[in-house]
Amino acid sequence: MNIKALLKSLLLRKFTTGLLILQLAITLGLLINSVILAVDTNNKLAQDTGLDIDNTLIVSLHPTSGEYRNLDYYRSIVSEDLQQLSELSGVESVSLMNQLPINQRGMLGNVYDLDDPEIVHRDKYLRDSKIFLTNENLSNTLALALLEGRFLTKDDQLDFGSDQNGNVLITESLKKALYGDGSALGQETNNGRIVGVVKDIMLNPTIPVDKQYGVFANRVMEFIFIGRYYLLKISPGQVEAVRNKVSDTILAVQAERDIYRIMTMAEHMKRFYSHDKGLAELFLLLCGLMIFVTAISSYAYSQFHISRQKKYIGIRRALGARKKDILLYVLTENWLVYSIGCALGLVMTLGFNILLSQYISLSKPDIMLFLLASAVIFIAGTIATLIPAIKTSNIPPVIATRTV
Amino acid sequence: MRSDSLFVYNLTLAMQSFKRAPTLYFLIMLTLSIGVGVLCANLALVNSMASDPIPEKSGNLFHINMNTWPDDQPPDEPMHILRYRDAMAITASDLPKRSAVFYASGVYARDAESTSMKRFDSDVRATTPGFFELTNAPFAYGSAFQKSRGMEIVIGDQLNQKIFAGKNSVGKTLELDGELLTIVGVLKPWILRPLFYHPTERRAFNLTDDIFAPLETAIDLGWSIHARSSSAVDYAGIEETRDKDVYYLQVWVELGDVNQKPALQSYLDNYSQQLKDAGEHPLAIKNELHNVNEWLKVNKVVDQKVLAFTLASILFLSVCIFNASSLLLSRFHAAKFEVGLRRAIGASNRHMLMQGLTESVLLGLFTGVIALVLSWLFLKLSVQFLPRLTNLAVLEPKLLVLGMLLALVTSIASALYPLYRANRYTISAELK
Amino acid sequence: MLNMNNISRIYQSDTIQTHALRDFSLNVKAGEFVAVTGPSGSGKSTFLNVAGLLDNFDRGQYELDGVSVQGLKDDELSRLRNEKIGFIFQNYNLIPDYSIFDNVDMPLRYRGFNASERKRRVEQALEKVGLASRFKYLPSQLSGGQQQRVAIARALAGEPKILLADEPTGNLDSLMARQVMEILHDLNKEGATIIMVTHDPDQAREVNRNVQVIDGQLADFKIYAPLDRTSENSGKTVSAAVSASIAEEMENA
Ligand SMILES: Nc1ncnc2c1ncn2[C@@H]1O[C@H](COP(=O)(O)OP(=O)(O)OP(=O)(O)O)[C@@H](O)[C@H]1O
Ligand SMILES: [Mg+2]
Repeated sequence: MNIKALLKSLLLRKFTTGLLILQLAITLGLLINSVILAVDTNNKLAQDTGLDIDNTLIVSLHPTSGEYRNLDYYRSIVSEDLQQLSELSGVESVSLMNQLPINQRGMLGNVYDLDDPEIVHRDKYLRDSKIFLTNENLSNTLALALLEGRFLTKDDQLDFGSDQNGNVLITESLKKALYGDGSALGQETNNGRIVGVVKDIMLNPTIPVDKQYGVFANRVMEFIFIGRYYLLKISPGQVEAVRNKVSDTILAVQAERDIYRIMTMAEHMKRFYSHDKGLAELFLLLCGLMIFVTAISSYAYSQFHISRQKKYIGIRRALGARKKDILLYVLTENWLVYSIGCALGLVMTLGFNILLSQYISLSKPDIMLFLLASAVIFIAGTIATLIPAIKTSNIPPVIATRTV
Repeated sequence: MRSDSLFVYNLTLAMQSFKRAPTLYFLIMLTLSIGVGVLCANLALVNSMASDPIPEKSGNLFHINMNTWPDDQPPDEPMHILRYRDAMAITASDLPKRSAVFYASGVYARDAESTSMKRFDSDVRATTPGFFELTNAPFAYGSAFQKSRGMEIVIGDQLNQKIFAGKNSVGKTLELDGELLTIVGVLKPWILRPLFYHPTERRAFNLTDDIFAPLETAIDLGWSIHARSSSAVDYAGIEETRDKDVYYLQVWVELGDVNQKPALQSYLDNYSQQLKDAGEHPLAIKNELHNVNEWLKVNKVVDQKVLAFTLASILFLSVCIFNASSLLLSRFHAAKFEVGLRRAIGASNRHMLMQGLTESVLLGLFTGVIALVLSWLFLKLSVQFLPRLTNLAVLEPKLLVLGMLLALVTSIASALYPLYRANRYTISAELK
Repeated sequence: MLNMNNISRIYQSDTIQTHALRDFSLNVKAGEFVAVTGPSGSGKSTFLNVAGLLDNFDRGQYELDGVSVQGLKDDELSRLRNEKIGFIFQNYNLIPDYSIFDNVDMPLRYRGFNASERKRRVEQALEKVGLASRFKYLPSQLSGGQQQRVAIARALAGEPKILLADEPTGNLDSLMARQVMEILHDLNKEGATIIMVTHDPDQAREVNRNVQVIDGQLADFKIYAPLDRTSENSGKTVSAAVSASIAEEMENA
């Protein structure tokens, strides 16, 4: 193959070639960044939360009648709910909470050791620690892993109007932030006395994994009106069976409730990332369309080019080129275009990545992905040009002698 | 007359040209309209997000942020939510033409006279009466409540549809969380995009509220706060918050004249200075006034993800234009013999250009029609993927026009170079 | 060198059958310079295309340089075209995007020569047609005569056994045509076998053998009185041609 001559003839139709190269480059740039976005989102969904997300069922609900303004009544209904739910077959443990893990906002508060209130100025995440009001069953229901001390017990529960702070359980990263490697047991914080430390669970995915500060207090019965989420730990394989019975069970206790949602922790996590996932899918959709358009272009490009070259192909055949020489000639020409397109695509990918990063968070492109995407473009492009190329190689040499 | 018939002649030529290469023109139209459609759908979203929901006075409405936190660890500096007494201090000033102090809550509502026990989950705006005039809330029936206390409410159109099938329900009574309140006003369908009076907590694209209740009454009834609140002290219920350091009220004021803004600013600063002098808050004085558009900007109501996607669709459209351009080039090349012939029998360069332009304008019109249909489809599709934006998915007339223009421009743009090339084919070369 | 026996070429369209060649037989020896004449549409180009393996034929036998052509695969035909045949077209058929050098170089690439061999041959061929200094030019920058000389150089570069030319001077004025003819005569003197289709009786008279195609068949040239002189001419040079071909055979041996 005479690459130099090939390049020269490409230069002679620089407009169409340039357009195709630009298209290829943009397509590649978008393709790679879309894949990065999709991979990022999948990674987020696949990250370890420290929770058994598939076997934890969440019920979010709210009473609809004025009766519930009587908190004693409210409390009695909730206690009955929990009792009935725990008796369902397949339910291993039931608890309730004021807010869910894997959430950005919610009930947040300062946490500091009473001896060192200034620490919140040094670590801003301490100002947005998650305050969970729950009951003694939570550790069981979420299968929290105890690192030191003990879990909350029924004795830690505070009653209406209590002015005590009570005992609290904290997450490991909060312990490290407050006490480093030392023990936290018995320490007094503004939120209560620490009786135990549990391994981190994913509280807020939008902040670093070592800043998952959480405080658990057995106070939900005191603030019963914010106990909006029932958590159920389900035996493996029983989730659907239990899910179908939850509504009836709760409404049988008292019907005037609005049950918004019954979902697994996994579904909750999916919902949390649904906007990210939707965006990634939209990008992939756009990529599909773009590849479609670019495929049309490469097909049209080679088709158009070949129709112009018909006579010259005939001349080549007359001068002794074999069919496969012609095939190779046409393909090489396209490969050359793709190579340039991919090279420019690398620039495009980086540029587009930087541009997109202004608006959304996404990882940097890596070279493997680039090579893979280039390979896809090459293969797709070769398939798109194969038919015109084969047709071309079938041009009979007599064409050369015909005056057009 | 002559140019008129030439125009018709050009049109017929264009139609013939389409008929001669239908697949090619179909592909050009398809790709261009997909490109325009996708971009247009995105622009529709961006447009809804970036538009001014109350253009008649957005410059005169100000949201107030203040810095009155009692110790040196405020959640924000300044805060967009205020204490009851701070908010009341602002309404006490006679600088603003009117003001609105409110918080968001929620109750379950049913027609008190109905036999059905079904209750509707309703968003509540507990507010001072100034809200209605300040936001230009449109009344269908009745009017606003006049005082901040009273068992009276105004309801939105949606709730009125749900409970009273859209009839005039003024005078009826609703049971809200066990309390009976009388309807004094019903709003017309009220769409605010963005929901400028409450764009925080990602609510910029929520619907307007279902129930508007007097502020003091809502507090007395203990209707809980359904938005951001911060407190420096413990409290058992909202009933106790009037004289506590609980921050949950948002304040908007309307100035008759924008030039009063500095005066209002110094009024606020004076107030803060007094608090500071009294030792009630240790931090620097930092009060902010944002008009509607500034406040929307501060809250980043334009979804960054949609912006990113818009960027991608611009690139996509450019790819579509490139594609159309190279397809047209091949079409014109195939027709260059005809071009040569026409030139030889006396068509001027200008004639040929006009003929080409007629063709691409016609192409652009067809493309535009398809593009508008597609953009509607893409819009529906986008909110399938991004359900949070559902309330935004509207194609306003101005976007239809924009879509049409985009189609025309892209169609002409993609024909420019091919036309230039076609007109350069020399007569002699083609007719040898 | 070239031996055609009862060749037929029929163009079949929907309604009509054209017998472009019918039972066409011709034998050309090495070193001959054959001029093919005949009325328009008589089948001259068809003959040349078949001879040059550009077109296939329907019946008959064709042997080129000892190789029997019928039944050969497409690739083998390509190789024969490349190695044994140099074709010169009426409208030059240079590739406009390629420089002179690249044009002449092209068939050599298909032959698979290495770069230095190709360079040597291209330069030598361009030298022969007197265009060695122009190898960087594009065809459009040359006159018609020069372009045809490039085409000749391209045909020569592969050192073919036989040169086929279809009205090589058809597009040229008489001066240019003269130059081209002289080159062809020189080549013939050096031993090249040439078959040339022409409409110019003067050109036909210059060469050592004349054949006439009428209606797809070789005409008995005795019918045409003016050609008597030509046959004498050819008689004179045949011995030279034969000796040249002998010399060539010696070389091959
Ligand atoms: N591709 C083709 N399809 C059908 N008929 C053809 C084709 N090529 C040639 N013919 C016919 O075959 C016959 C011989 O054509 P050919 O081109 O060999 O004539 P020619 O002697 O070279 O004429 P001229 O002197 O005008 O070049 C003519 O009748 C022509 O119409
Ligand atoms: Mg001919």
